[in-house]
Amino acid sequence: MAIIVIGNPNVGKSAALNRLSGSNILVSNYPGTSTEISANSVKIGKKEITVFDTPGIYSIFSEGEEQKAIRDLFAMEEIDLILNIVDASNLERNLVLSYELMDLGFPVLLLLNQIDRARSLGIRINERLLSELLQIPVIPFSATTGEGLQEVLKVLERTPRGKKDALAKEESQEKKESQFREVSPVGKESLAQERCFTELRTGQCNGHCGLCSIPATTCMSIADWGRVEKARTTAYMVSSNLGERQRILLEKTQAFFDSSLWGTPVLLFLAYLAFVLLLKFVAISEGPITALLEPLNQTIESFLSQILPPGIINTVLSKAIPEGLIIPFSIIMPAMLMVACIMSLLEDSGLLPRYSVALERTGSFFGISGEAIIPLSLGFGCRTPAIMASRIMPTASQRFIVITLLSIVVPCAATLGILASVIAAFQASLPIIVGTMIAVLMLMGFVLSRLMPREDAFIYELPPLRIPLWSNVGKKIKMRFSGFFTEVLPLLLIMSIAVRALLESGFLEIFHSMETFTRFLFGIPAEAFIAVLVTIFQRYLAPLVLLNLELTPREATIAISMIALSLPCLPAMVMTVREIGWSGLVKILGLGFLTSCSVGIMLNLIL
Amino acid sequence: MTINDMKPGQSARILKLNRGLRAGRRLFEMGLVPGTRVKLVSRHPFKGPVVLQIANTQIALGRKMANSVEIEIQE
Ligand SMILES: Nc1nc2c(ncn2[C@@H]2O[C@H](COP(=O)(O)OP(=O)(O)O)[C@@H](O)[C@H]2O)c(=O)[nH]1
Ligand SMILES: [Mg+2]
Repeated sequence: MAIIVIGNPNVGKSAALNRLSGSNILVSNYPGTSTEISANSVKIGKKEITVFDTPGIYSIFSEGEEQKAIRDLFAMEEIDLILNIVDASNLERNLVLSYELMDLGFPVLLLLNQIDRARSLGIRINERLLSELLQIPVIPFSATTGEGLQEVLKVLERTPRGKKDALAKEESQEKKESQFREVSPVGKESLAQERCFTELRTGQCNGHCGLCSIPATTCMSIADWGRVEKARTTAYMVSSNLGERQRILLEKTQAFFDSSLWGTPVLLFLAYLAFVLLLKFVAISEGPITALLEPLNQTIESFLSQILPPGIINTVLSKAIPEGLIIPFSIIMPAMLMVACIMSLLEDSGLLPRYSVALERTGSFFGISGEAIIPLSLGFGCRTPAIMASRIMPTASQRFIVITLLSIVVPCAATLGILASVIAAFQASLPIIVGTMIAVLMLMGFVLSRLMPREDAFIYELPPLRIPLWSNVGKKIKMRFSGFFTEVLPLLLIMSIAVRALLESGFLEIFHSMETFTRFLFGIPAEAFIAVLVTIFQRYLAPLVLLNLELTPREATIAISMIALSLPCLPAMVMTVREIGWSGLVKILGLGFLTSCSVGIMLNLIL
Repeated sequence: MTINDMKPGQSARILKLNRGLRAGRRLFEMGLVPGTRVKLVSRHPFKGPVVLQIANTQIALGRKMANSVEIEIQE
């Protein structure tokens, strides 16, 4: 049996599904959390059920990748039931989608989710009447408290397989295909599916009819209007407001954050506080962690040098392993932990999207609209998921700009941590490095935005402010932070050994022929340039190479700046190819290489 | 009158969405349907976006978008 979960953005589809199936889908308080369809299996009674979680949509009939993916899913899978998640406090708008889903002809089960929140807002919904009007089962539900869970499970258990009349389906399939052959000049499969749904929405414009000159993105059909009208009437009939009520504290806070005068300054101040907190936390924790690790490191070192036969392997391992442990634990771990906490709180409280609105104007300077704040700030955690989150951008060219900025300019938590340690080790100039990064960000955004002018079409639904659920925040911190043990720590350890081996074996001497070249262009030794090239594997590994060299503060400043503004790491590249293809990646790599070299040359001239 | 002419705290009824607006369908889907009541929550400075309240949702709109939604101020 297969069920598909559909609903408006941010109504709690993923949360509801987690509640139903015990799955672990990411839940956040802003539209655009789930960008992909995911399949989860649940066992209810004796039934094996596949439940598909989908990205939030306002209308299944509009253009867009997500809508298309969902329509394709209907064509590919045998869907037995649509689980329509509805925000109970926004019935009128949510019901429009419900009416669309009912028009598709599949059985629909409607969950009035966030019923707890609706109640606290003073909204009462007569679910019996609603069920009667829609002629589908309606269940008040709360993903947070678990209310209604038993009822849903009961309904799911009762739902028969393949309720949709097989015969009727076949018939419509035939009709659809014959029509398709007649009309369509190109024989594309997806167009056939499209037509199927066009048919289902009687009188709906499909943008290909050629009867009028209105582009499909602006076209509202009679059917659309009809559904809005029905939704409005139904919502009016079934809900009642308990008149004047006390405004809860959360709403007052929200009004404050959304006020014209105070909103932006307060948000910026909070961001500044978070940044200071991050730096302070790393600075404070470094001492104790190093002190704790010191005896362990000495034990490892003496242990290794004793059990291994004397020789190069002995020197390499007994030096590299303790070295490879100290930086990850003392600097990267606190940085990643703090960033994970801050990001998770921003996401779940609903503050993150408010930055999008407040910084919309600033974004226009970079040629991106306000939504970009979300992927860009997620990039400070890790760039790979941030690249995926860039789907929130309205157009492909804006998406490219965001991915480029993410790949080249935005430092992830691990990079930040290790950069900080290298800067301290060589007494490199922090203001110059940060200044260079900001200058590159501005310049790159400015140039890109001139190349691809944006269309000023900012529309964004702001989620309500919520008190973050500790369990959810904890889960996300754990998820973000687990990368430290599974990825950062092992990689740094291996890299530390490799670098040590290269140094001890004298292999790096080979590159001395490049010395005059790198000295002339960038003012750095050849080995430091190798470090810049290492960024292609993983950016936070690169500074590690530097630590083993002897550099002057000036050389270190240049080399660190070049590393901080270079190529995206391997995981980010894989994601880039997946999201925007090889051509996009090639452009970004070219741009990254160019940026890194120009930064080196410029700093060499200026400093 | 358009949404841009509203002051924070004012309520209005949407009359129509200007034709030819490219994101018109998106506005429509997000609940900016003629006949709907909206309240202006805030206008961000320097021609930043405006934030609207429609029923229990808040929608941020760029100024250009806001300019293409015609309204009629109520009370
Ligand atoms: N109060 C309350 N909040 C909920 C409920 N369900 C979800 N949420 C919150 O709504 C936000 C969006 O949830 P999510 O599952 O990511 O929504 P999706 O975008 O529809 O998948 C999260 O912050 C959830 O904690 C509920 O039943 N009650
Ligand atoms: Mg989701």
